Amino acid sequence: MERRLFIKLAGSAAAVSALPAFGTALAADPVKVGVLLPQSGPGGLFGPSCENAANLAVAEINGAGGILGRMIEPVFADVGGPPSDANQAALKLWKGEKVEAFVGMHDSAVRGALTNLFKGQVPYIYTPVYEGGECSAGTFVLGETPAQQLEPVIPWMAANKGASKWYLIGNDYNWPRDTNAAAKGYIEASGGTVVGEEYLPFTADNFDSNLAKIKSSGADAVLITLVGGASVGFNRAFASFGLPDTVVRLGTLIEENTLAGIGAENSKNLFSSAGYFANIDTPAATAFSDAYHGKFGADAAALNSLGESCYEGLKLLQAMAEKAGSLDVAELENAAEGTSYDGPRGRATMSERHVSRDIFLAEADGAGFKVVETFPAVSAGRNCS
Amino acid sequence: MDLILTNGMNLVYAVATLALIALGLAVVFGLLGVMNMAHGEFVMLGAFSVYVTQQAGLPMLAAIPLAIAVCAIVGYLVEWSIVRHLYSRPFDTLLATWGLSILMRKLVEAGFGRDYKSIDQVLPGTVDVFGIAYPSYRLLLLAVIAIFFGLLFAWYRRSNTGARIKAMVSNPQLAAAVGIDTARLARMTFVFGVCTAGLAGVALAPLVRVEPYMGIDYLLSSFFILVVGGLGSLEGLLIGSSVIGGTDTVISTLFAKTSGYMAVLLISILFLWLRPDGLFSRR
Repeated sequence: MERRLFIKLAGSAAAVSALPAFGTALAADPVKVGVLLPQSGPGGLFGPSCENAANLAVAEINGAGGILGRMIEPVFADVGGPPSDANQAALKLWKGEKVEAFVGMHDSAVRGALTNLFKGQVPYIYTPVYEGGECSAGTFVLGETPAQQLEPVIPWMAANKGASKWYLIGNDYNWPRDTNAAAKGYIEASGGTVVGEEYLPFTADNFDSNLAKIKSSGADAVLITLVGGASVGFNRAFASFGLPDTVVRLGTLIEENTLAGIGAENSKNLFSSAGYFANIDTPAATAFSDAYHGKFGADAAALNSLGESCYEGLKLLQAMAEKAGSLDVAELENAAEGTSYDGPRGRATMSERHVSRDIFLAEADGAGFKVVETFPAVSAGRNCS
Repeated sequence: MDLILTNGMNLVYAVATLALIALGLAVVFGLLGVMNMAHGEFVMLGAFSVYVTQQAGLPMLAAIPLAIAVCAIVGYLVEWSIVRHLYSRPFDTLLATWGLSILMRKLVEAGFGRDYKSIDQVLPGTVDVFGIAYPSYRLLLLAVIAIFFGLLFAWYRRSNTGARIKAMVSNPQLAAAVGIDTARLARMTFVFGVCTAGLAGVALAPLVRVEPYMGIDYLLSSFFILVVGGLGSLEGLLIGSSVIGGTDTVISTLFAKTSGYMAVLLISILFLWLRPDGLFSRR
């Protein structure tokens, strides 16, 4: 029985791997890919969906013959803590486990530490939404930049929602500040003005003074770059004062979990701009969502742009490796420009180590998002200056 | 004028909710000397009680008995198994309850998941107060907090139990010698403290984010209030809440939220350094 099973398994494994690669795959070692994601800390909420999405991508890529005929073996590490801990974890995978490429979904402080550690010697794909401006060699960026999320969206809000007097509110760190710096240009270009700008510490749980200022500033639109719990608390308080009737809200990191915390009755006139929503109605996005829930169950961690970006990260690695014919970082650098692949978000095309891609503007609609406008192939802007 | 009124209402609201949040810690830390690092987690249990009752289709009032029951059972077990062995060893209680707070967070995360829970609004909409629109639920909450503190104040001053607690706090040996069962009294005081934390969680749940890690912020602000107000009295609690809430509101309104938070930190540090007994201490 045991022998029979072994022969059966070996036979089918050989058949599966031999088909696309004409036999060479049998001899090849698996390629280890380090997947760096937050399993603890403030970002820990996004760990499970990211891990699921990465595992789904690995299963699909391996099912179709792997990368350059080699099966992918994902190695996960927690980078939810401080950058120094993340560095240790990445170093262990790189030098200890001999990981050949990294896919990372974490904050920018960790990214800064990692680009210093890698120094362009190992391919590193950074997947989440971020403030733009990453230009290190060997680092390839998938996430939405402020240019992508705002350049087409702010004129749309002005034209369709009458947004002209903007109040900018965010947490006090570089992503909100850089996003708002970019936003000011687009607001002016759309004929609007900025009537207030404020940054809150992460510990803030009382937003009354901010709401009073928003009200007295006469703002008709608020750009929200608060993250996670702060965004939930702010939006709930915003609605309790009856402000949504007269003031529209636009967020660049309000994903499905944050919206669930805000609640359907507090999300009137709330818009979100991102490269992915769980409710995107395209064949590719629906197929992805079906595969995700088919593999991990109907009540698996909710799909969202950050979690889904881990799937995109592995797809981009595959596309670049196949174009370059190698996983060597220098050859990937040479081949990266113009690489494209199709994922749940649509087609992504690499340019200056970033990708141009479709951006969706969605309106909160009950417990989910409804896409109200799709902006095709939006450029990530200039990030190497 | 409207702006002044709005900010004034916000100030009253901030002070009242801070006093409500800190009451549980004021009882447990102020009277028993137990620096309960799991204070915020009892607030979290209260908020999750609202989530559970709403999921079951029950009205929010049903969350009050549930929160009291859950916090009383957990509080009783914690006092009996851990805290009673550590009275008069403040640093050890701090470590033990810190471990307890991690355990409580992780258990709730295992049971309910890490994601944000949305609590349906109670009394949605706003009411006109002297020409400004103020959320109805907040007005109700302000009235409830005022009545609650009034009753508590009267009870603590007049009742026998209040007198026994005061006796136990000022001289435990003497209190035991005159026949007060201090072990039982301390246990009941601890259970009462964590139950008020749970009730604060119930009251705030419709207004704030609800998730397993929500407690940490409440522990911090409660601690600042006790540092400023002093331990062991309701007056100190109210004064501390007024100073912390007032500073935060006024500085945040005039400048920015970050300045408000910095001012709160500065005041707390100055008090710890120059006046460690706080403004109003019975100790």
